[in-house]
Amino acid sequence: MSAKARARAPARRTGNPIRDSALALVPETVDEIVALNSAVWKRSLVSPALLETLRLRNARTVNCVFCKAVRYEVARADGLTEARAAMIDTGYQDSALTEREKLAVALADSYLGFPAGMGAELAQRLAREFSAEQIASMFVALMTFNFTSRTAVSIGGMPEEPLPVVLVPLATDD
Amino acid sequence: MDSPASPNSLDLDRTLAMAGSAAASFARLWQALWVQPYVAPPLLEMCRLTLARLHRDEHELAATNPHLEPGALAAARRAAVIAGQAHAATGFSVTERAVLQFAECYALDAQSIPDGTADMVKAQLGEPALVFLIEALGCIDGRIRTARCLRDLQRFAPAQAAHVG
Repeated sequence: MSAKARARAPARRTGNPIRDSALALVPETVDEIVALNSAVWKRSLVSPALLETLRLRNARTVNCVFCKAVRYEVARADGLTEARAAMIDTGYQDSALTEREKLAVALADSYLGFPAGMGAELAQRLAREFSAEQIASMFVALMTFNFTSRTAVSIGGMPEEPLPVVLVPLATDD
Repeated sequence: MDSPASPNSLDLDRTLAMAGSAAASFARLWQALWVQPYVAPPLLEMCRLTLARLHRDEHELAATNPHLEPGALAAARRAAVIAGQAHAATGFSVTERAVLQFAECYALDAQSIPDGTADMVKAQLGEPALVFLIEALGCIDGRIRTARCLRDLQRFAPAQAAHVG
């Protein structure tokens, strides 16, 4: 990972982590990215705990140091404690995660694989457990988490070492 | 719903629309990628083809991009990109080579993009364009990945596919 940042964040701070990043250099997209992140957290068709499961699996796979340290308050309130967040890791299949949470991890892994794709067993389990609308909603969330975390990694300037876990509220200005 | 039988990155929004406002927001972001001042649509299309090639996704490679003017990307250039030969073929500018090299590195591992590869894009197009390119590659790659997974769902869980696809 590049130790130096390849693009500068704006000097003026707004309090919104997206607007305060280098993404602000692209006014043609930044407002929609802020709106998208807000819509994913506030209007998705699955629970915040499931969203956080997808987000953390993606963060750990992409190795986004910032994303890995963040925990959303809304997901914590929905039951994704730190102990449960730790289960979203190797061996998750045998953990105390719920069946839906395990399926969310498997869905994320299918998306994050290279090349991406899923086998018959997972497809059928997903179809039994989730509605088509919920599956579509999880893919929108995954795409959002994935492209924003890979953007952060690609821009560079991240610390090498893990950061302490930080609990964050949903942004208020979007 | 008028959703495609076998989605690709270009028509994915019709399939995802059932997810509601988040999907609508993602669709608006996707549209915005094709009307901006940083990376011309034909070059962005060559990035899409590069990512599709790396995913070995024949369905994606065969898709027609509605955001391109007819003839905007010559067949020979398209073929060179699909063959992974843009770096060696004639008819590609320094900027195009730099962007396509960046796209390939991004796809293989976003953590391992060489500084020199990023610096080349920045030197050719500027810092905002580098940030835009990174955003766009993430969106394109994510849409290819999602379309691939949805096609598998249609194939293996057709009852669900009746709704998803």
